[in-house]
Amino acid sequence: MINVVLGVIGFDCHSVGNKILEAFFVESGFKVTNLGVMVSQEEFIDAAIETDARVILVSSLYGHGEIDCAGLREKCIEKGLENILLYVGGNLVVGKTPPDEVERKFLKMGYDRVFGPDCELEKVVELLNGDLEAKKDCD
Amino acid sequence: MVTSRQKKIVTEKDFISVDIGSTWTKAARFVADNDHFILEKRSVVPTSVDYLPNGFFEALKQVDVNVGLQGNDQNLPPVFFSSSARGGLRVAVVGLVPEMTLHIARLAAFSAGARVCAAFPYRLNKRNIGQIEQEQPDILLLCGGTNGGNERYVRENSMALAASNFEGTIIYAGNNQVEDEIAEILAEKDLRFSENIMPDFGQLNLEPARSKIREVFLDRIVSGKGLDTLVTRFGIQPVPTPLAVFNLVEAIGKYRDDWQNFALIDMGGATTDFYSFSDSYHPDSGTVLKGVLEPKAKRTVEGDLGMRVSANSVLSLAESMFENELAQYDLKLNLMSEYIEKLNHNPSHLPDRKNANEMLFDQLLAKACINNAMLRHAGSVEEVFTTSGPVLAQRGKDLRKIDKIVGSGGYLAASDHILNSSVSLQQDSESSLKKPLFPTDFSYYVDADYLWPLLGNLAAAYPLQSANTAVASLKLKQNNHKIKVLNNPALVNGNCCSTITQGAHS
Repeated sequence: MINVVLGVIGFDCHSVGNKILEAFFVESGFKVTNLGVMVSQEEFIDAAIETDARVILVSSLYGHGEIDCAGLREKCIEKGLENILLYVGGNLVVGKTPPDEVERKFLKMGYDRVFGPDCELEKVVELLNGDLEAKKDCD
Repeated sequence: MVTSRQKKIVTEKDFISVDIGSTWTKAARFVADNDHFILEKRSVVPTSVDYLPNGFFEALKQVDVNVGLQGNDQNLPPVFFSSSARGGLRVAVVGLVPEMTLHIARLAAFSAGARVCAAFPYRLNKRNIGQIEQEQPDILLLCGGTNGGNERYVRENSMALAASNFEGTIIYAGNNQVEDEIAEILAEKDLRFSENIMPDFGQLNLEPARSKIREVFLDRIVSGKGLDTLVTRFGIQPVPTPLAVFNLVEAIGKYRDDWQNFALIDMGGATTDFYSFSDSYHPDSGTVLKGVLEPKAKRTVEGDLGMRVSANSVLSLAESMFENELAQYDLKLNLMSEYIEKLNHNPSHLPDRKNANEMLFDQLLAKACINNAMLRHAGSVEEVFTTSGPVLAQRGKDLRKIDKIVGSGGYLAASDHILNSSVSLQQDSESSLKKPLFPTDFSYYVDADYLWPLLGNLAAAYPLQSANTAVASLKLKQNNHKIKVLNNPALVNGNCCSTITQGAHS
């Protein structure tokens, strides 16, 4: 079974979407370690190390995603998680930044996939399975 | 409730408990009476270090139990005994993430009555292996990874251990998916398997590892110095003294509704043990918990905090606190350093009651030990600012609801005033935003007759009677004592209420 770590980053308390994501990924056959809301970068990484997760799924709803998410990739590399997939989704920035610009920003930060607040979860799982398949050779 | 009356004939209602310490062997004879024990007689004799049964039987004789190694006496009352085993079993813990499996491994070792002599996160390097080879702990508790989680670190650490000269027992309590591999890698070592201490992320599973450690304790310690003959003679296994006390703490929590939030400080010459029984986290406290939820019954042992053998390390830890305190009496630190030097040469030294300086030095040592032990046992809260206002983030165990503290061990058993006078509080600037979750309002009791370890021996078999007797045996020293935790030493001077010092924790 593939282990995934899930949580809402920073001081964000939005818990409804987090529960939906947990239920969905469990149903899709993943072993989910859900850290809940208000999760720090360090907590994501510690959980990913202990559970040997292949992907960290980061949510952010409250508009501070940019500052909360910056540096997670670097910290992962520092902690020996060179091959981990980083997915991020939600209302990642405040205001009317076009979605493709947001995506570019987060891809540059080292995230593998970036999703808006209204993405299709089936599509996310499909992409994830493809990415995991592609990463197989790295492990 | 505890009385002492003369009695010569030992009856079938008698229970004998003996604690073999590193210096003293203590014995007590109790009589069971419904829901409690009555203390009939107790004794203290020097421990016969070369052959433990000699002191053991001498202590028994003094409580009117005349038995020897031989004999076929039919009405011999049940005998329970504990052994401190050179200050406890030395355990090295190896985990993965410091705040997760490594932290949980430490909790498991402490609650089994062990002393943690080294702790290593992530991968064992050559220097770590060298340290393990040099220290040769009795047990190495190898952990890491949830079940189905990380395999790499435990596998690589096992390989490093397999190639080492470590001769002790390895208890594997990590990811259970790699047990077969670990068994192969460590085939040449004394290897035992336990359940994973963190089977799922954030989930604690201490009991199996705890009982494994106890099992190894019995195998390794009992064989030396004649303890095995005692096992054969009385048909009962000894328990490590700290485990006996831990069992008693749990029994009190289970059977005494009025003792639901309490702590026990057992301070000796070499170590300070801190036990707490209280919920770790109170959802109504307005804090958000970070990290693992610690167990309700928790023990920590500080090997560098003690009144005699460890006095040197206490000095280096609390030097500036001592300096400030001594200044109030126009004394210089070097006087205290000289005293500690004297203790190094003569660890059994007891200050002359008329020597005010030495009495003061001991009092300061005790305070530094207690405060630092409590600081390391307790969790803390830190205020963090969020978009929805400030939030208190809690890490570790909340001790604020603790309303009773018991002092035990030589110094605390004999003194009244340890928590009673004001001490300046020094906090290093880095942790100044973190507030320790100390007890703030509690009654202070003393185990003046040293009955708790002896009752601890009976606690596994007779928890109700042991718990009631332990509570009844205490002497109340201070009622509703209040502590203020202050950040600014300047505020403390002239303050009549006591303050738990924070020491110069580095």
